[in-house]
Amino acid sequence: MKKLHNSHPPPYPLPSREGKIGEGVFVIPCTVKKDRVKDLLITASEEWDAFVPWKGPEEDVQFVKLPDEKRKNFLDRLSLEDGAPLIPPKTVIFPQLESLFEFEEGKIKEMIPSPTKKLLFGLRACDVKAILFVDDFFKRNFEDIYYLNRTMNKLLVLVGCKTPPRDCFCTSTKTGPFLPVPRSLGEVGKEGFDLQLVDIGKKYLVEVGSEKGKEFIGNYQDFFEEASKKDVELSKAMKKKAEEAVTLKIDFEKAIKNFCEDKISQIIYEKIAERCIYCGGCLYICPTCTCFNIFDGKKGDRGKRSRNWDACVFEGYTREASGHNPRAEKWLRTSRRYEHKLKYNYLTTGMSGCVGCGRCLATCPVNLGMSKLIQEVTK
Amino acid sequence: MRILTTCIYCGCGCGLYLESESGKIVGSYPSRNHPVSKGALCVKGWNAYEFINSPDRLTVPLVKSSDNFKESGWNEALNLVSEKLLQIKEEYGPDSLAFLSSAKTTNEENFLMMKLARAVFKTNNIDHCARLCHASTVVGLAATFGSGAMTNSINEFEKADLFLVTGSDTTEQHPLIGSRIINAVVDRGAELIVVDPRRIELTKYANIFMQQDNGTDVAWINGMMNVIIKERLYDQKYVEERTENFAELKEMVKDYPPEKVEKITKIPKNLLIQAARLYAQTKKAMILYSMGITQHTTGTDNVKSLANLAMLTGHVGLPSTGVNPLRGQNNVQGACDLGALPNVFSGYQKVGDKAVRDKFERAWKVESLPADPGLTVTEIFKKAKEGKIKGLYIMGENPALSDPDLTQVRKALEKLEFLVIQDIFMSETAEYADVVLPAASFAEKDGTFTNTERRVQRIRKAIEPKGKSKPDWQILSEIGKRCGYSGIEYQDPSQIMDEIASLTPIYGGISYERLEPFGLQWPCPAKEHPGTPYLHKDKFAKGKGSFIPCPYVAPDELPDEEYNFALSTGRVYWHWHTGTMSRRTSLLDREVPGAYVEMHPADAEQLKIKEGEKVEVSSRRGEIELAVKLTKKVKEGSLFIPFHVREAAANVLTNPAIDPIAKIPEYKICAAKVEKI
Amino acid sequence: MKNEYLPHPARIESIQRESFDTQTFKVIFVDEKLAKSFNYKPGQFMEISLLGMGEAPISITSSPSRKGCLEFTIRAMGKLTRAINQLKRGNVLYLRGPYGNSFSLEEVKGKDLYFIAGGIGLPPLRSVINTVFDKRENFGKVKILYGAKTPDELCFKEELKVWQKFPNTELLLTVDTQDKDWKGNVGVVTTLWEKTAMDGNQAIACVCGPPIMIRFVVQKLLESQFKEKNIHISLERYMKCGLGKCGHCNIGGKFVCIDGPVFTYSQIKELPAKEHVL
Ligand SMILES: Cc1cc2nc3c(=O)[nH]c(=O)nc-3n(C[C@H](O)[C@H](O)[C@H](O)COP(=O)(O)OP(=O)(O)OC[C@H]3O[C@@H](n4cnc5c(N)ncnc54)[C@H](O)[C@@H]3O)c2cc1C
Ligand code: SF4
Ligand code: SF4
Ligand code: FES
Repeated sequence: MKKLHNSHPPPYPLPSREGKIGEGVFVIPCTVKKDRVKDLLITASEEWDAFVPWKGPEEDVQFVKLPDEKRKNFLDRLSLEDGAPLIPPKTVIFPQLESLFEFEEGKIKEMIPSPTKKLLFGLRACDVKAILFVDDFFKRNFEDIYYLNRTMNKLLVLVGCKTPPRDCFCTSTKTGPFLPVPRSLGEVGKEGFDLQLVDIGKKYLVEVGSEKGKEFIGNYQDFFEEASKKDVELSKAMKKKAEEAVTLKIDFEKAIKNFCEDKISQIIYEKIAERCIYCGGCLYICPTCTCFNIFDGKKGDRGKRSRNWDACVFEGYTREASGHNPRAEKWLRTSRRYEHKLKYNYLTTGMSGCVGCGRCLATCPVNLGMSKLIQEVTK
Repeated sequence: MRILTTCIYCGCGCGLYLESESGKIVGSYPSRNHPVSKGALCVKGWNAYEFINSPDRLTVPLVKSSDNFKESGWNEALNLVSEKLLQIKEEYGPDSLAFLSSAKTTNEENFLMMKLARAVFKTNNIDHCARLCHASTVVGLAATFGSGAMTNSINEFEKADLFLVTGSDTTEQHPLIGSRIINAVVDRGAELIVVDPRRIELTKYANIFMQQDNGTDVAWINGMMNVIIKERLYDQKYVEERTENFAELKEMVKDYPPEKVEKITKIPKNLLIQAARLYAQTKKAMILYSMGITQHTTGTDNVKSLANLAMLTGHVGLPSTGVNPLRGQNNVQGACDLGALPNVFSGYQKVGDKAVRDKFERAWKVESLPADPGLTVTEIFKKAKEGKIKGLYIMGENPALSDPDLTQVRKALEKLEFLVIQDIFMSETAEYADVVLPAASFAEKDGTFTNTERRVQRIRKAIEPKGKSKPDWQILSEIGKRCGYSGIEYQDPSQIMDEIASLTPIYGGISYERLEPFGLQWPCPAKEHPGTPYLHKDKFAKGKGSFIPCPYVAPDELPDEEYNFALSTGRVYWHWHTGTMSRRTSLLDREVPGAYVEMHPADAEQLKIKEGEKVEVSSRRGEIELAVKLTKKVKEGSLFIPFHVREAAANVLTNPAIDPIAKIPEYKICAAKVEKI
Repeated sequence: MKNEYLPHPARIESIQRESFDTQTFKVIFVDEKLAKSFNYKPGQFMEISLLGMGEAPISITSSPSRKGCLEFTIRAMGKLTRAINQLKRGNVLYLRGPYGNSFSLEEVKGKDLYFIAGGIGLPPLRSVINTVFDKRENFGKVKILYGAKTPDELCFKEELKVWQKFPNTELLLTVDTQDKDWKGNVGVVTTLWEKTAMDGNQAIACVCGPPIMIRFVVQKLLESQFKEKNIHISLERYMKCGLGKCGHCNIGGKFVCIDGPVFTYSQIKELPAKEHVL
């Protein structure tokens, strides 16, 4: 095996999750009645910008900010029962298009988002893991003020999937459908969530993942009740059932190992590259992808500099002004996409860049996706 | 805030959401449940948000005074436009005016444009860019089937067993249809026959690839029919019961044995025979075509021949079959449907038909609507150059880059007495204008688009119009009012749709409520009608389908000693037409930053030209300079130039020779030469 | 938290033409406090922009040992760099940075230094070279091997003459195609190996230039006994942010903008070969 490229390679297999589900509960959990969730959100939205999975009239679910008016009607379309929405909550924390600054006659006006309090309610486990991943990325080396300002005051409330969509494989990546409850509470949850809700029929069992989560319960204690032993038992059963409902199983650990040991043949990449129609969708939609482009626009001496989502599958992504392009061939870009997630992310951070949400397959017009590749390379 | 709308780029008509934050568009992404997008978009859809914010958007009306544009108020600009147009009408007669509508604007706006032209200015001189892409489809399919639209639906591609793709670079131009073909072939083992002079992406998946000489389509289609008839592979029952004129067709195609076809087209005869058998013997076989078929002097013949082929084998009127013209622009189908054509009102109701005119006169409360068909785009520019068209009103089109033989078009624009441009950007054409009216973009207004599969679907307002710009329908209505016509006032576009429905049988059952959430496919004649996924079920729209035999005629201009290359033009995946939107999208512009000409490496070697080298490509009409891209996609002796780039506008070279019936120009072949510089 | 994306205006003090498409700009921050406090290391680069025209990474070619102005040598390659080359004295550019690692001179005290540059690869090395010359006594032999396409395209023509005069210093020039006045060597940079002794035993090499040149030079250096870890190479990659965020410059697990642009050959060898690093 070739020497690994960073000095302290994390050992395989992925260490992301040791504790067993339902164990290690630190704070005595409480419950919230399902029919009080709306009121909780309405009350909390006095203080927080609340973002919830919301099913529009077209039945498409997406994270949407609770409007200032008619909240109750709006929440009739709250969607906590469906699987993860196709479009990840990344749009909330890292929008597709963001202005960096405006300028006029040479004077620059920064456009840094204000650090509003954001309550992301109804996240799925995979998305919590992804946010944790992206948080870490934007803090490492240089701090990205645009991202950090948007996200520094956020509270992540996970509602575990009951019936996960067919494309996900989070049990294989060990990123869901529920996350283990940490044994001690840090300022930010080690698993990423601040609160985790388990559907136990007429109510949710609420597990606490951080001090911030605990505080939230304290601030809105009217909505919460103490959980009974039975509730806790029920929640364990629910978690198990949810876990079994994820039917797509892949050998993720072996895939990571094969990637880290450079065992993936070029032919596999070439096959994918040939079929890919370069829509960029799989990367745009990936909850852990963060690549962006920076561009200017102006008219006369007024204009702005902005950044927007970019993706490494594009030929121009690495083409230099001289025309030289180190990744001119299609398969190289394909290999970049997969290796970044399954090898380099893992080797540099210990977290893989894939959280098993299955979105890349769901959005691909030609039916390519992470799970398919992994099946191929672990055959 | 998110709002569901319809993509502004191609005819697939994907459903996409626009995301807005504080009154600004900050993203676009697919709808999972939309029947076309199904959770996916192509790269243009994923980046459809950027150009809306472009600082170059037109935001105030501009009036030209002594060669310079001056900003003006709406009132002043609109008064000027209506006064000038009325004055020209008075002085030179209604037919000295012409109107170009737009396949980029909504159905409602196209309807208003034609209402304005016909009811207010009493001229049928109204047309739009469909003339340049699918006019031959409209004419050809109407003659054979009775309806000039795509017969089947996009989702039927998912169930078809064979695709005959010709003159459509589907993965580049209609990515979400292309992807369905790839999936069908790779995952389900469907058969694929590609007939194209270029080695397009889909040929990688083709069972049979026939690389015909550009412009010889009628010959190979007749050749296939020759084989099918000779081998008795045609659907005799279907032909007998549902079609007419078979004997004549049979007689004519006798002249096209595979040997002869091989000589004309360079398609090996065995391949042709194989393809003919495969197509005839597969039940669920769909024909798809696009501009490679239509943009020829024989465009109408090409279309009719494909229709003949499909009828002969009983491949029309059933799911996953049919003749499927893939319409280019997002709303080119709608612009045709709504009567932005010189010879028909909305719903293809003929202007020559007294009863139809009576109906419109009553509804619009006007008298003497003009009865003679008006001029087509190509004729409008010809007449403008001759000084016969004095005033031209162009909404959302850029003929100074998109029309053939640009030098002539630009001369015509200069000659006009009065030119009004209504657009979202200062286009190449706008520079010739007397008045430029700033229009709202698709994100800033309500309306409907009709996609290639006849799906009428909503676009929805996500943000306020930028600056002082206004939706096209409001501008048109304002002009109408100022010309003294009050029958053109609306509160919102849904009222226009109600008027459309009341006057247009194929849209008869359509209203905004019924279009929720993902639209309806016309014909939808009544309020309860569920829409029509595929046409000609049990019976052709015109009753019996007509075989119209077409003999082969060579293209207008072929390579010769001097101009020794066959030049074709078209689009690339990353860009859209004249690039007004896609070149203002940083990612798309980065992917294909400049103009290039595709050339076969063998030709390049002979001319000692290297990859990336600058050359001059010239035809009898003009010359442009651009870089060479070596690729085996093009045949030896052929060239291909994308027409998006203003710095090297391909249409300086193209031949304005037109199809005699559909008046579509021959973009797909002309003679050109290449010189090193 | 600092807004790393915010550029600061800097005025062009003077412009020196280097060749038909390349000029050196001497600039100073408009903000005096910033101008005083600004610090950088040889080998680092900055993101230079014109508002509305975009940004590009450009190496700092002046050396930190000479306080005052910053210098950038910019070749007109694309939209922005062409626009910058149209600017006049007194015009304003926008800068942010410095970014990237540097050639570390602390570790190489007492050693022989070989600088090998091709074309526009000399500007980043010039920063190191001048820092070295400002403490000439700290280092052993210095050899500068520099090649360009034509004599016109050699940068810093006057300064080269000065360098030549430093003690224990050798400057070798070469061009691919000569003109009538050229009397020096003709051929690619590696042909200079025949003109001077290249002894890599106790020496450090700094290399910058087009990928193909680097490839051949490294080959030669290894043949001349340079150790892999003593060959320092400045890499070029498409860049946007310079902060390890936008992803464009990523090679394997490294970001050229923050882990580089200077890598030793032993580090480069560990990067995936298929990424066409060299
Ligand atoms: C670390 C580093 C140091 C450099 N130092 C110098 C120098 O001292 N002098 C000099 O003349 N050139 C230098 N370059 C190359 C210079 O950055 C490119 O020539 C320049 O980016 C071209 O930009 P443009 O806007 O004119 O071209 P366009 O083709 O319009 O490029 C658009 C954008 O693409 C990116 N890009 C394109 N090519 C490159 C490239 N080669 N490297 C990085 N980004 C690119 C930039 O973000 C650029 O703004 C350096 C590059 C790097 C990576
Ligand atoms: S790679 Fe695919 S499955 Fe993995 S996190 Fe990204 S989108 Fe989800
Ligand atoms: S979603 Fe599919 S087609 Fe689009 S870039 Fe990804 S792999 Fe390619
Ligand atoms: S330039 Fe953005 S990550 Fe290196």
